Amino acid sequence: MSAIDHDEEAVVIIGSGAGGGTLAYELTARGIPVVVLEAGPHITNAEYVNDEWAAFSQMAWLDPRTTSGSWRIARDFPNLPAWIVKAVGGSTTHWSGATPRFLAHEFQARSTYGGIDGANLLDWPITLAELAPYYDRAEIAMGSTHRHGRAALPANNNYKVFANGAARVGYNFYATGPYATNAEPYDGRPASVQDGFNFQGDKSGAKWSTLVREIPRAEATGHLDLRPLSQAVQITHDRTGRADAVLYLDAAGGMHRQRARIVCVAGNSIETPRLLLLSASSLFPDGLANSSGQVGRNYMRHTTGSVYAQFPDPVHSYRGETMAGIIADEARHDERRGFAGGYYLETLSLGPAFLAAFADPGSWGRDFTSILDGYAHTAGLWIVGEDMPQETNRITLNGSVTDAAGLPVANVNFDDHPNDVAMRDHGYRQAELLYDAVGSISAHRTPPYPSTHNLGTSRMSARPEDGVVNKFGRAHDVPNLFVSDGSVFTTGAAANPTLTIVALAIRQADHIAEQLANRSL
Amino acid sequence: MTFLETSEAPSGFLDSPQARALLVRVIRVAFPHAQLPDTAYEKTADALIALAEKTPRHFLALSSGLASLDTLPAGAFLDLNAMDATARLRAIEQTEFFGFVRANTVLTLYNLPEVWQALGYEGASFDKGGYLHRGFNDLDWLPEPRIEEYTGELRYVEIGPLTRQVGAATPATPAAASAAPESASGRDEVTK
Repeated sequence: MSAIDHDEEAVVIIGSGAGGGTLAYELTARGIPVVVLEAGPHITNAEYVNDEWAAFSQMAWLDPRTTSGSWRIARDFPNLPAWIVKAVGGSTTHWSGATPRFLAHEFQARSTYGGIDGANLLDWPITLAELAPYYDRAEIAMGSTHRHGRAALPANNNYKVFANGAARVGYNFYATGPYATNAEPYDGRPASVQDGFNFQGDKSGAKWSTLVREIPRAEATGHLDLRPLSQAVQITHDRTGRADAVLYLDAAGGMHRQRARIVCVAGNSIETPRLLLLSASSLFPDGLANSSGQVGRNYMRHTTGSVYAQFPDPVHSYRGETMAGIIADEARHDERRGFAGGYYLETLSLGPAFLAAFADPGSWGRDFTSILDGYAHTAGLWIVGEDMPQETNRITLNGSVTDAAGLPVANVNFDDHPNDVAMRDHGYRQAELLYDAVGSISAHRTPPYPSTHNLGTSRMSARPEDGVVNKFGRAHDVPNLFVSDGSVFTTGAAANPTLTIVALAIRQADHIAEQLANRSL
Repeated sequence: MTFLETSEAPSGFLDSPQARALLVRVIRVAFPHAQLPDTAYEKTADALIALAEKTPRHFLALSSGLASLDTLPAGAFLDLNAMDATARLRAIEQTEFFGFVRANTVLTLYNLPEVWQALGYEGASFDKGGYLHRGFNDLDWLPEPRIEEYTGELRYVEIGPLTRQVGAATPATPAAASAAPESASGRDEVTK
C-alpha cells in the first residue's frame, strides 16, 4: 500500500463499493495515485459469519437515520431505511449477484413513458450504445455467468420451482443468470460451493465484490492508499469553487484533512447527498453542486416485493446461490399492464431469522407462524422493477437527530407512486400464478424490505438545471467533483443496479484518466 | 439497572417464577408452533427478561404488562385456553408491553439453532463444503428446468405486449399444471 501525504493533492474517492472500488482500481491501474476514504472497517472473507443477524451486526450500515412519508418502512423500520454495508467493499460484499443490463428504452424513460403525473422523469444523457462497451468490461470483470463464455450456474431447488412455474405460465426468458458468481473457477477465484448466504459476506470468494477483486488489485499497483474507518464529513473548496480537500473523521473521532485534486463521491445514494448537503458553504449555500436543487431528490429504491409459496413437498430453498434465477419476460414496457416500465422476477430465500423479521413486520399469531411452519417447503421470489423518480422522495438533513459526531443524520422521505403500486400488485399476482402452476398450497405477499437498491439522489442530466452531474458523473457546478455511485441514475430501470454502477465507474475512470492526461482537470 | 435495597424499591417480580411462567405462556400463545421444544420458548422468555432489566422503560412495560395479565376479571391468564388467551393478547396488542414482547420474540426465538432445526433449516454450510454435495439440487418432484437463456424462436419483447398469453390466461388447475411439460410454452407460437 502506498501512503499518500495529507498535503498531496490526490484523487480522493469516498467509498469503496461498486462505484468507488471500481474507480479506484481503474485509476491506480493507470498509475494514478488514489486515496480511498472508507467509513467502515476492513473485514476479510475469513472473518465473515454465515448467520443472518450476526452478519447484519458485522456489516450493515447501522448509524442512525430517520424516515418519513407513507412507505411502510417508516412504520416498521423507522431507523433502517436501507439495508446496505459499511465496510471495505461496500454493498458489493452483501449484494446477491444478479447482473442484467438496462434495456435501451430505459435510458429514455421520459421519451418512452411520456409525462406521468407526479413523476420527475428525465432521459439519461447517455444511451445503451454508448454504455455497451463498458457493460462488456464490467461483465468480464465481475465474471457474469451466461456472458463472455462464462458457464451457467446449475439449478438449485428454489430455481427448479421458479423455472418450472415460469414455463407453465408461459414465460420463456428465464435462466440462472446472468449472475456474478463463478460457476467454474475464474479470475483467480473458485467456483461456488452453493453455500448460500448471498446477502451476507461470502466466505469462499466465488462471488464478485470489490473486496475480492478491485481493492486488492488496486493495492498491488502501489498507488492506492486505502483508509478504512475514515468517515468523510465535508468536501471543502477554494475561492474559485473547485473542490480542494476532504475532511474526515477517524475511528477515534479525530478530524483529518486530505488535500484533493479531484474528489469522487461514492457513498451510496443516502450518504452521497448527505455529504454534499453537509458541504454547504457561502459559495454553495444549498449544498455543494446543488444549484439545480436536485441534490437528494428523486430518491429511488426500486419497486419491490416478495412472494413466499408453500408446497406439499420439500423445497429447501435456502440451499445454494440465493438469487441465481431471473425471469425477464415482465421487464418490458407494456402499458396494457396498467403501469409504465417493467420488472424482473428473481429467486430469493431468507433464513428463518430474517423471514420472521421481514415476512410481515408487526404481525403475530397463527397467520404469522404458519409462514415459518412451512419453511422447508417454501419457495420464494423477489419482484424488482423500475420505480418513478419523484422530487419529494428525498434525502434531507435531519435538524434534530444527530450522529455520534453531532452531525445531522439523513432523513429519507418516501411515498410510493401509483405506478409503483400498480407494478407491485401485478408482480404479486404473476408470482402467485407462477407458483400455483406448480402446485403451491399457499402464497404469502411480503412487503418491500429496507432498501437495498438506493438510487438517483444526484442524477445525471444533459442540462445543469435538471440534475446534479453530467454524462460522465461530473458535477455541473464543480469541475473537479464527481459522483461515482448509483446516485447518478437519472431513472432506475428494472435491472439490479450493480452492473450498471460498475460500467459507469469504468467509463468515468476512462474519462478522468483522459482529462488528467491532457491536463484539463 | 440496579435496585436499591430499600422497602420502596420495586419487588423483583420479573425474576419470579410466576412472571417467567406468564411470559413463556404469552410467547407461546402469540407464536404458536406445535413442533418447537419448550426450551425454545423458555430461552426466549429469559432473553426478554434480561433485556428488559437493562432499561427502566422496558422493565416497567414488561413488569406491569405481565402483572396485569393475572389480575383481570376474566380470570388468570395461565388458566385460559389458547383461543381465549389469543383474544386477550389481541386486545392489548397496541400496548408497549406487547410490542416489546412481539418485536423481541421475533428477533430471539427465530434466531435459536434449535428452532432452525425444528423448522428444517440447516444454516451455515461453508465449513462442510457448502450444499454442493448436500442437497442444493435434490428436489425431485419437478422436471429439471433449463438453466441457459432462451434460444427459441420468440423474439424478446422490450416494448409492447407479448405475442402470447402468460399467467392470467393459463388455467391454474392441477390438470393443467401436470399436463404442461417444461418445454411446451410458446415454442410453437408464431414468431413476432
